[in-house]
Amino acid sequence: MQPVNLFDLASQQARWLSVRQSAIAGNVANANTPGYAAMDVEPFEKVLKNTSVAMSATHSGHILASTSPARMTVETEQDGVAILPSKNSVSLEDQMLKAGEVGRSFELNTSIVKSFHRMFLMTAKP
Amino acid sequence: MIGGLESLIGVGKTAATKLDFGATTAPAAGSKVGGAQASFAAALDAIATNTVSSLQQAEQMSAKALQGETDTRGVVDAVMSAEQSLQTAIAIRDKIVSAYLEVSRMAI
Amino acid sequence: MDSLTTALKVAASGLEAQSQRVRVVSENLANAQSTGNTPGAEPYQRKTITFAAALDRASGGSFAEVAEISRDKSAYPLEFHPGHEAADANGMVRMPNVNMLVEMADMREANRSYEANLQVVKQARDLISMTIDLMRSQ
Repeated sequence: MQPVNLFDLASQQARWLSVRQSAIAGNVANANTPGYAAMDVEPFEKVLKNTSVAMSATHSGHILASTSPARMTVETEQDGVAILPSKNSVSLEDQMLKAGEVGRSFELNTSIVKSFHRMFLMTAKP
Repeated sequence: MIGGLESLIGVGKTAATKLDFGATTAPAAGSKVGGAQASFAAALDAIATNTVSSLQQAEQMSAKALQGETDTRGVVDAVMSAEQSLQTAIAIRDKIVSAYLEVSRMAI
Repeated sequence: MDSLTTALKVAASGLEAQSQRVRVVSENLANAQSTGNTPGAEPYQRKTITFAAALDRASGGSFAEVAEISRDKSAYPLEFHPGHEAADANGMVRMPNVNMLVEMADMREANRSYEANLQVVKQARDLISMTIDLMRSQ
């Protein structure tokens, strides 16, 4: 699939990865909190589809409480990316694995942007 | 983005064809010069096409990587070779343009 | 607040929470043998810590905070020390309800969680750095 604009796509992925990093931070910080369910972001493909359609206004920090009284699960939203709860409590190893993924993807993302930016500047020089 | 780069490389090609036109008016072993001219233009054409296609390849690989596919080495190789051919094409373009300017300044 | 800054702050709140936990465990360990002074007096009562998640509406981050530091209500073990100042009529002394093995295990867990939070802090900081580096010319 040929992107409309590579820089836009990279921008969106960077945004999504940042939200994921924040979700992972929340999980690790609350690993010992009773009743806390691990959260993760919606898949990137969904984010791409959402931005192509006009985004319906959702107030940032929109909170939904689940009906179960024992566990307070929350859905929240950052930067246009939804963060959804799972059914499990936090496993630190799992979170470290995900953090590694985020780190690698982010590094690749910034390197790609840097390279194409450099090539662009090369051609635009006199 | 690729379009913009194409037009910039096109400047080099235009300057090159102008140069070749100048060369044919000089008295020389006609067929040899003719042959050299044809292959030179063809070579430039090949370089420009090659550059554009490697840039497109790099763009495609990068787009795939950004959407989650994990052929990291493939992306890196594609981007590096795009940069190499781009750098080469630009160097050639610059040389051609400066040669053209030099020729145009020559007293007849 | 952008997401990477949120991640940094959330991880920092995790560090703070785990530090409190380490402090509580250290207090328990330090007072594992602290009895009262008078016969039949109450010894040191074990402290416990409970965490809670605080969802910040503005940034969308799930911060960790200490809900409360309370006391363990389980029974005090009795030990036979007839000459002790806190010994009752039968020579039994009420000892703190602190189990060394449990506290050591808790300490290890707290350390592990602290390290994990620290990793997240480092990574968030590195990602922010990488982003700013994009602007830097060769």
